[in-house]
Amino acid sequence: MKKRSGLGLILVGIALGVGCGGQPGGEGPEGAAPGTAGEDRKVTFYLVPKKKGLPYFSSCAEGARAAAAALGNVELIYDGPTDGSPEKQAAMIETFALKGADVIAVSPNDPDVVGPAMRKAREKGVHVITWDADGVADSREFFVNQATAQAIAYGMVDTMVRDLGGAEVSADVAIVTAYLTAANQNIWIEHMKERLASSASQLNLVAVKPSDEDQKLAFSVTQDLMKAYPAIKGFFGISSVSFPGAAEAVRQAGKTGEILVTGLATPNSMRSYVEDGTVKSVVLWNTAELGYLTVLVGEALATGTLSAGATEFDAGKLGKKKVEGDQVILGDIMVFTKETIGDFDF
Amino acid sequence: MGEGGIVRSFRYWHEIVLLVLIGVVFAFAQMFEPRFLQLDVQRELSTHIWEIAILCLPMTLIIITAGIDLSVGGMMALCAVTLGMLFQRGLSPWVAATMGIGVATLCGVLNGLVVTRIRVHPLIVTLATMAAFRGAAEGLSLARPVSSFPEAFGWLGQGVWWGLPVPAWCFMGLLLLTASAVGLSRWGSYCYAVGMNPEACRFAAVPVNRVLLGLYAFSGFASGLAAVLFVARRNTAKADIGMGIELLVITAVVTGGVSIFGGRGNLLGMVLGVLLIHETREFVSWRWSRDELNFVVMGLLLILSVLLHRWLTPANRNTS
Repeated sequence: MKKRSGLGLILVGIALGVGCGGQPGGEGPEGAAPGTAGEDRKVTFYLVPKKKGLPYFSSCAEGARAAAAALGNVELIYDGPTDGSPEKQAAMIETFALKGADVIAVSPNDPDVVGPAMRKAREKGVHVITWDADGVADSREFFVNQATAQAIAYGMVDTMVRDLGGAEVSADVAIVTAYLTAANQNIWIEHMKERLASSASQLNLVAVKPSDEDQKLAFSVTQDLMKAYPAIKGFFGISSVSFPGAAEAVRQAGKTGEILVTGLATPNSMRSYVEDGTVKSVVLWNTAELGYLTVLVGEALATGTLSAGATEFDAGKLGKKKVEGDQVILGDIMVFTKETIGDFDF
Repeated sequence: MGEGGIVRSFRYWHEIVLLVLIGVVFAFAQMFEPRFLQLDVQRELSTHIWEIAILCLPMTLIIITAGIDLSVGGMMALCAVTLGMLFQRGLSPWVAATMGIGVATLCGVLNGLVVTRIRVHPLIVTLATMAAFRGAAEGLSLARPVSSFPEAFGWLGQGVWWGLPVPAWCFMGLLLLTASAVGLSRWGSYCYAVGMNPEACRFAAVPVNRVLLGLYAFSGFASGLAAVLFVARRNTAKADIGMGIELLVITAVVTGGVSIFGGRGNLLGMVLGVLLIHETREFVSWRWSRDELNFVVMGLLLILSVLLHRWLTPANRNTS
């Protein structure tokens, strides 16, 4: 016994040596200096979604690939955390910056957690922009905004009002959101409340519930709300996960046609609900164009054709886009209905 | 004993194989991505692993006693939330962090008490407390994150001291303490003994309950420390910190040759396991930029290591 523990101690000593020397050091060769940009070198562009594998982000990536192909000088890498973990997203940004990225475009999962990594990347000379969702101050140069928060929020309320029969119809409605901390959703909710209180609607908001980006939870939250407010006439599912969850709950309760669901999601994920009438309208922006514009903006920053203070950005086939402060605005929302949804596949 | 006997009785084949595997990763990196091996790159990438390495210390000893602690992520969450809420109420972040570590240690003591007094299997106990601690953290904080800690506090997670990140020094200090306790006192032998035959230990006057209570409390303390470093590094205290971290920690420990059935393994193997997992994970994301690939590689590594463990370990390892 005694002999064993003695040997163990020696080995732990070796372990320490390995721990000290090996781990942070490695056998570092001289290597090339980081971040040195050659003349006709390609722009290395990392496009980082909140969560890899969601159809919404995949459709954005399609547009981004089209832009990279059209530009020709962009090497596009699309990668993000498959589990949607903000910590992992931050770690990935650190790795990309060390690898010598020219542009990193992030849709931050949690701006506070990812912010320091984005700032560190900027200190290394990387052009960091945000797309789809914004980050914290000084963590990025530009935000490629799909549509203003107001346009999205008003769009959802106005769609609901129209689908329920017009501005004079009064009814109870509820919101099923993502997380209570989700920055995008919280701004939309503010603007939705504003619009609901205005003369454009007689709707009465009875509850705002989180679904934690979990479709099952969105489903059960919606069931609970239907029990708690029997007079409820409409649900807003304001994330790509809470929308189908809420619609499924209404469909399974047999309330199709009595209770309307509207919100934000990709057309494919809502197609069956639109076809059976549970959902009359799906609100979204053109995701492929969002990816396309993001790559264009990043490339323009890297090559110096876009810089702070610009008021307009020439987005090629997308036309001229407005720049408001440090935000490049893609444009208006899109509403997919039973008539138009067949034209889209994403 | 013949020549074969000497080969078979050599106890550190697993560690040697791990070293070879780490060497293979470095060789690949040297060939295809030399920049990956540069000192500044390795130093910055290493910041991704120190919290996990710290959690591996108590986990190694606990698994040697044939136990397990699934609640490390939950204890991290409670520590982070305590830290955040006290800081928000105007306490200095250092005091708040100390209190946070205290809370996490208490959680560990609670695990230990249930394991030893009520004699429920640690898998069940910590599976329950994993959810309970996380739930309590979510409930207390209402899932609201706390950020904007002062820069001096951020140094704890982001700073570099004597060429290494500050969390690295925390890990090495704790490793030294743990190794001394295992090597110099009877604690080490007790851990192995408990893992091999707890009933015999009770007859042999080994203080089984005290050993286990101490280890689970240590696990709580280490979780608290890891949470403080994480909060300082990412400048955010919130309740979903360390979600799923227990699986990474257990993967690293088992890859390091620690048997999940208890009684086998050592700290050296664990350190090599952590190093192998870390370098492989970072290299895979460096070279291929495909997050999904990482899960596959981690799974393969775990299976490979268990197979190696079976082939290379003589049946009487650590029993003579």
